[in-house]
Amino acid sequence: MERNLVEFYQTFQFRSPSLVLCWQTHDVGKLSSKVIQSLNEKLGGQKIAEIKPAGFFPLGGIAFKDNLIQIPESEFWACEKDDLLIFKGGEPEYEWYKFLNAILDFAQHYCQAKELYTINGNPSLAAHTAPRRILAVYNQPEFQKTLQDYGLEDMTWEGPPAMSSYLLWLAQRRGIPGVSLWPGIPFYLTAVEDAAATKRTLSFLDRRFNLGLDFEELDRKIENQNEEIAQLREEDAEINGCINRLESGLSLHEEEQVKLARGVYEILEK
Amino acid sequence: MGIKLFKEPELEKPDLICGWPGIGNIGLITVDTLKGALKAEEFGEIEPCDFFYPRKVSIKDGLLESLEFPSNKFYYKKLEKRDLIFFIGEEQPTEGERVYAAGEKAYHMASLVSDVAEKFGCRRVYTSGACVSLVHHTMKPRVISVVSSEKLIEEVKGHPNTVLISEVGGGKGEGVITGLNGLLLAVAKRRGLESICLMGEIPDWFSRAPLPYPKASKSVLEVFADIFGIEIDFTVLDKMLVQIEDIVEGVYRGFPPEIKERYDERKLIAHPEPGGITEEDAKRIKEHIDEFFKKGGKEGGEESS
Repeated sequence: MERNLVEFYQTFQFRSPSLVLCWQTHDVGKLSSKVIQSLNEKLGGQKIAEIKPAGFFPLGGIAFKDNLIQIPESEFWACEKDDLLIFKGGEPEYEWYKFLNAILDFAQHYCQAKELYTINGNPSLAAHTAPRRILAVYNQPEFQKTLQDYGLEDMTWEGPPAMSSYLLWLAQRRGIPGVSLWPGIPFYLTAVEDAAATKRTLSFLDRRFNLGLDFEELDRKIENQNEEIAQLREEDAEINGCINRLESGLSLHEEEQVKLARGVYEILEK
Repeated sequence: MGIKLFKEPELEKPDLICGWPGIGNIGLITVDTLKGALKAEEFGEIEPCDFFYPRKVSIKDGLLESLEFPSNKFYYKKLEKRDLIFFIGEEQPTEGERVYAAGEKAYHMASLVSDVAEKFGCRRVYTSGACVSLVHHTMKPRVISVVSSEKLIEEVKGHPNTVLISEVGGGKGEGVITGLNGLLLAVAKRRGLESICLMGEIPDWFSRAPLPYPKASKSVLEVFADIFGIEIDFTVLDKMLVQIEDIVEGVYRGFPPEIKERYDERKLIAHPEPGGITEEDAKRIKEHIDEFFKKGGKEGGEESS
């Protein structure tokens, strides 16, 4: 590995950790950021290293959002007690191959990581009242068998690859078993936090790694969110009709989708 | 990461013929057609990860089956007159927003291709591309050549329908061959290999269209047939040519009458000098082309005369 690609912040000690990676570039339903935040907060994660941005991100200036400067982050966090290595960051704009190999080099050679889990929210046409499903892509059939009792559903897809698929493919070439998790997010919750999808994802990780996570706070959030949407359905017959149709497995026209997404966004962001 | 050879054929001082995408895909179609006509056999590739982003993933029943990159493959064919190696790149490695290869990656790609040429004892490298010129679309495109040394000048002039770049459209034999079709020639020359670029003429106005121009590829193929003493079956290429001719004619019919009249003057002169169509006309035609294809044109050209 090119050591100068990575900046080390503190020493760390793993046994044989699993790498959990969440891209924050298209943070559908704020799933990636919320999952990482929960893991780091609840498991006492420490920032241990970072891939330097030069060469991977446009640095001709600095973006800002909500009055805050946005710096490209590509951070490794350690939850040593639970033997989890966490990567949070945005997808690189350039030199994907070099960047993804830098992640795998760090995980494999400095941390002896044994497995890879990537997490991305996946917009779905299901209603928010339906249980969240997680579609999964594995890079080894043996690993697929290992996870067959976790309620994940197999994905079938052919088309442009996501960054996670590229990483999974590179991990496969190194013999590292990996899975990409694609929790479904109702399309009208993609711009806000989908607490139910966050819980579904964290529940999987909790069971897989025996983390002993407490979901009380998330349950409260889900309840609040459901109540607010229920209130909106009572007040707006058109939106109620849209959600009813989704609950019956029917589709919506584009204008209906936009209206529903806008209505839910306005009520939840308020 | 680099060159992967599946086998090492025994070749006698082969020539290397390379093709990448470019204006009208003239070079790529030429080399791909020649490779297909000779039933050349694949023997290696340049590993794509360092140069390209993946373009397709196949996932079935939860398993990642494959990730597909643009291919960069080597083929060979032993001929009576001369052994040949082909290299066909489906994309040019780019940096930033450029369309054609430039920078470190392009040089690296050209170096890897040259490494294979040296390994198999190649004596000469050919590339092919487009020469944007004032040719009328109904005329047979000429093959414009640029060579690496004086001694090759007479040789290329001896091929049918072939001229040197200095003989085209009032040019002075100066210009730039952009992308790998040009860069490889320089890298090969630095390694002591002879190098020749054979470019098919494409009408200036059509060079902005996002379409192939097989008519020019056919001209270049006829030259390759002459060089290597081979016969090429043009059936497939001719079918494509007819389809494209229909589109070219369609665009041409939409020219404003006064521009069409001046453009048609090109037919009256064997090889027109710059002039006839004014800069203002050219601008209007280009706007017409962009509108026709509802898409902007390409960046620059491989070679303009």
